[in-house]
Amino acid sequence: MVTAATLMETRSPAPNLRPTMPAAATGQPAGTAAPAAEVLIDIDHLDFFYGASQALYDVSLRLDTRKVTAFIGPSGCGKSTLLRCLNRMNDLIDGTRVAKGSIKIRGVDINRPDVDVIELRKRVGMVFQKSNPFPKSIYENITYGLRLQGATTKARLDEVVEKSLRGAALWEEVKDRLHTSGLGLSGGQQQRLCIARAIAVEPEIILMDEPCSALDPLATAKVEELIHELKTKFTIIIVTHNMQQAARCSDKTAFFYIGRLIEYADTQQIFMNPSNPQTEAYVSGRFG
Amino acid sequence: MSTTTDPVPPFPPHIKRFFDAELESFRSHLILMGETAASQVRSAVKALVEGNTSLADQVIAADDEIDQLEVKIDEEAMRYMNLRAPIATELRLVIVGMKASHDLERVGDEATSIAKRAVRLSAEPPLKPYVDIPRMAAIALEMLRDALDCFLNGDTEKALAVCRRDAEVDQINKQLYRELTSFMIEKPGTISRAIELMFISKSLERIADHATNIAEEMIYLAKGKDVRHSDELKKNGGAG
Amino acid sequence: MAALVNPHIFQTRPSAARRWERACFGLFGAATYLVLFCGAAVFLTIVAKGSRTIFKAEAPFINTTFFTDAPESLYVFEWQGKKLEMGDREHRAFIEQHPDAAKVKTESYIYAAGGIFPCIVGTVLLVVGSMTIALVLGVCAAVYLNEYARDGAFIRFVRLAILNLAGVPSIVFGLFGFGMFVIFFGWNVSLLSGWFTLAFMVLPVIITASEESLKAVPKGFREGSLALGATKWQTIRKNVLPYALPGILTSSILGIARVAGETAPIMFTAAYVVRDKLPWQVEKFSDFFFQGVMALPYHIYVVSSKIPQNEYTERVQYGTALVFLLIVAVIATASILLRNNLRNRYKW
Repeated sequence: MVTAATLMETRSPAPNLRPTMPAAATGQPAGTAAPAAEVLIDIDHLDFFYGASQALYDVSLRLDTRKVTAFIGPSGCGKSTLLRCLNRMNDLIDGTRVAKGSIKIRGVDINRPDVDVIELRKRVGMVFQKSNPFPKSIYENITYGLRLQGATTKARLDEVVEKSLRGAALWEEVKDRLHTSGLGLSGGQQQRLCIARAIAVEPEIILMDEPCSALDPLATAKVEELIHELKTKFTIIIVTHNMQQAARCSDKTAFFYIGRLIEYADTQQIFMNPSNPQTEAYVSGRFG
Repeated sequence: MSTTTDPVPPFPPHIKRFFDAELESFRSHLILMGETAASQVRSAVKALVEGNTSLADQVIAADDEIDQLEVKIDEEAMRYMNLRAPIATELRLVIVGMKASHDLERVGDEATSIAKRAVRLSAEPPLKPYVDIPRMAAIALEMLRDALDCFLNGDTEKALAVCRRDAEVDQINKQLYRELTSFMIEKPGTISRAIELMFISKSLERIADHATNIAEEMIYLAKGKDVRHSDELKKNGGAG
Repeated sequence: MAALVNPHIFQTRPSAARRWERACFGLFGAATYLVLFCGAAVFLTIVAKGSRTIFKAEAPFINTTFFTDAPESLYVFEWQGKKLEMGDREHRAFIEQHPDAAKVKTESYIYAAGGIFPCIVGTVLLVVGSMTIALVLGVCAAVYLNEYARDGAFIRFVRLAILNLAGVPSIVFGLFGFGMFVIFFGWNVSLLSGWFTLAFMVLPVIITASEESLKAVPKGFREGSLALGATKWQTIRKNVLPYALPGILTSSILGIARVAGETAPIMFTAAYVVRDKLPWQVEKFSDFFFQGVMALPYHIYVVSSKIPQNEYTERVQYGTALVFLLIVAVIATASILLRNNLRNRYKW
């Protein structure tokens, strides 16, 4: 007869489970135990216009250092516009202007007249919706930004290429064909190449404009993993139409609707218990 | 060379996702909860058999730990379902985990109830030597262990066996009932002790029920097939 | 409906739409083959008649003198019962040997002997020079219009002006070049005047086509480059122009054919009816640019309209026309190879 006293001793898996607990517990929600985050980007009452039509209305938002922030909202809600304000890519479009408010990065208003937009864009990298590797070799793609800055020694370039490709989890896949065209890669690899190209110039902030919208789920998963790894070094802002992606990747989520910031909170709160009914309708796919 | 024998090209290796750790944590918490609950039951029965009130008090105090684990597991499950959008096995794991944690919490409550009764019984001499109760406890704990084993290694055969053993415990419970009833009729002085023992027996029977539930849930987790109230179980239901 | 025994749901039935479709496609096909026929007729005539001039029956099968000599007069006379045809120099040597021959009745035909080497050289020089100028100016203008200039009323007006320029008759360019370069700049009838006149003539084509090629470069390349901290010029030079170049070259191939073939713009600005010296036979380097040259199309024009026509001049006309076609083909092929090479390097 088995006695109660001997029962537990026969359980073999038990002893080696307990020690794993602390390690497993690190998978806890990010931010709950983290120290108060440093504000890197401070958007203050921003109004933005495309010609006569207003695209952003009084948007105020503070983004933390080394966090992933997701911008979500229906098409035309201004999330991409705001993203492109952060590295002043909107300058390329005629008739755009910041009518009111400011965007400060590390306390500096980036729309001041004495701000060099070239310097700004070196610090604020961007990854686009449609992967756009240049029709050059993988190596040249990565070194493009560095060469602009005058780096030419082969040793330095080699080092950065390897580092960036490793950083973008692409090194193992392409190390044997660095000098073949970047356009020969698959869609997901191309997008990671673009990320590698962006991190090669060592920006502080990486803007991602729907980086996975053209990728299959597997490639998307890889990019998401990459985002998760990159946030230890970079501050990442991602615009996405994919609710699950925002939920999976981001620490904080901002919901926009027709140019207005409706709700900005921890991602868990936005998806678990949003305070605004519009946000809830949108994240649960019952908008309008 | 016929084309029909061409092998399917191998799938690429799985991608490790950063939130896999969260699922791992969830599993670990569930296992920890199972172990704690089992250990509570074992200690409670031990306290009863040995008349060890301090051990019983420990059991009562430790119930909080299980309650906290249940809260934690629910929280993790909610978070995982909310942010990670699990599907298929992952979804079953999260849902089964929530249900099993509820069962385990109930097991913990029954253990506490046994411990409380053990404290009361320790004040008086034992009604009779404790044979059937440790036997029931041993079976119930074994069932619990097997159910949790199924969670660890997906051994559904063992889990099916758990479901079938439930009847065995029910049998002992009924037998003890009759026995204790005759005690009460013969010696009214034993009524209060007999009632306590009846409740303890009932608790153990319930623990076995919870173990059965967990086993059924684990079968659902492993196979995606709901075996509750199915013929498969009733076929050999009486065997024990 | 007797024909349709057990018709299924997708049964073919005659319909008006189907008849129309057949009629239209028939018309389109006919138009295509008509154009093809006309082109082939012109081309084959030139090849058939020109081949008699540039090929010979005996080895080395090619009439090398036609390619390497300057034009000469042809002398035709009877000598000891045989009809002889001789070029100018040959005829003189013959007379020295046989003084009697001077007394024989001799017919002379201007330009009907010798070759067209100076014309070939002249045309090649004109094409290379004017295309270089046109490409540099055209690409610069296209880059400005497409990349830098803000799209406003003025720029739209400039574009319209450029398009209209493409429709201006080439003789007008010739007169413009004559007034501007030959007289006002005092460059006289010279290579330089011809280059610029021809360049201005093809500029509208080059600018328009270059703009199209620049537009065809995906916006993503520009944005990607700018987002990495490149200036606009760095972006254009490293990440736009290289990709637009194949398209620009494609358009310039059309320009080559036009520049090489035009007579009107060079007749006042660069072309000589006849010139003994070859372009590199100059005293000092700068003279090279300020000398007139002979050119194939102008030579054809002169031979076919300025001198009495006869069976001998016809040989020169068709021979020259065929050589002209061949030269255009060679230059165009070279451009196409260059373009394909670039296109393979920068494919997207």
